[in-house]
Amino acid sequence: MTWADIKKKLSWLSYLATEAYNAPYRGAVARAKRDEDDLFMLLIFSEMMGVPNPATYYTLELQPIMLERFHEWHKRAGMEHSPLDGFRCC
Amino acid sequence: MDRIFDRRIVFVGGKGGVGKTTSAGALALMAAESGRSTLIVSTDPAHSLGDVFDKRIGNQETSLAPNLSGLEIDPEAEAEQHIETVKMSMKSLVAPKMYREIDRQLDLARHSPGTMEAALLERMADLMADARSRFDLLIFDTAPSGHTIRLLSLPEVLGAWSDGMLGHRDRSRKLGDLLEVFGRDHSREDEFGMIGGSKEKPDDSRDGRIRDILLTRRRKFHRARELLTDPAVTAFLLVINAERLPILESMKTLDLLKKFNIPVTGMIVNRLLPPDADGEFLRERRLQENEYRAEIDQTFAELRRVYLHLLPHDVHGVETLREIGRKIVQQLGDVSGAV
Repeated sequence: MTWADIKKKLSWLSYLATEAYNAPYRGAVARAKRDEDDLFMLLIFSEMMGVPNPATYYTLELQPIMLERFHEWHKRAGMEHSPLDGFRCC
Repeated sequence: MDRIFDRRIVFVGGKGGVGKTTSAGALALMAAESGRSTLIVSTDPAHSLGDVFDKRIGNQETSLAPNLSGLEIDPEAEAEQHIETVKMSMKSLVAPKMYREIDRQLDLARHSPGTMEAALLERMADLMADARSRFDLLIFDTAPSGHTIRLLSLPEVLGAWSDGMLGHRDRSRKLGDLLEVFGRDHSREDEFGMIGGSKEKPDDSRDGRIRDILLTRRRKFHRARELLTDPAVTAFLLVINAERLPILESMKTLDLLKKFNIPVTGMIVNRLLPPDADGEFLRERRLQENEYRAEIDQTFAELRRVYLHLLPHDVHGVETLREIGRKIVQQLGDVSGAV
């Protein structure tokens, strides 16, 4: 085993240790971000769910951008198809 | 800074039927004839600006007199255009079989309450921002009070809304940045190529687009609000008749405008009985009118007031408007330029 090989092994171990520490946090932060994004998306589609929105006219232009996200969301929420009558993405 | 024509934006408002359009038209004509390039904009969905000037106007700037252009905003056409744009960008993202769904959904949005107002406000904000480079003076002939108040309060409401939405985006972005910290170590990635490749890459283009749209909105609303509340830029003129209901409504309007910090500068008391009109009936009316006039002078003491008499004929055409305009300008002590 050369010195370079040992160095490589050590750095691999160091990586594993870092990951073991980081991974749970990464998961928590990713979930928090996803929740934040879901909330934002629901605000954009709020009017369709019967929540009055002072700015429907302006949320409208954000809807196309959120379309994909909306699809991910209802899949994740366990609904195979869009739960909104007037709004079907798939 | 006391002269009304030195402002950049003048709103003329009041209860329905008190003579807003005539007053606004007369003022606009005077401003134009004093050498200021002027644009008069009607925001009332039931336009009558064209009738007063005896010209067809419509949804584009039309020349009414030398130095003077007119515009009747058509909120329906504005909303239509906005919604068409949204439809197009949505259709570029979904399968063609969804097109009908999108059309149906967005056609509903067009008729949802608030859409027309938002479209109207949008156009007004654009005009306020951009007409300043093309015109010296922008005069808004507004719809009856309630509608206008709501319209003028919208920039505040929508400003707060876009602030809130941007707050959500910021939080999401911060979490995204944090994720990056916990994510893979890029120096190692170079060494091993594929280690820790599980990290989701944030969709920068989408986040960026959302931010851009929201920021543009916020900038527009805040700018409109800034202009509206700056007494050096904006003046609001209330038109009133010496009758009970217009007085009551104007009191409410004045309170609300103050609440939103919109500077109200003057009042036009319109349609007073001419002093030479005679007969028993008119004598009675005049007695009543004098009472209301006293009430107006007391209630609105803080505003500069202009008194105009009822004319024996309808107002249409530049001649009559000029006649009225001269009276207004004289009383405002605003005789500047070639009047």
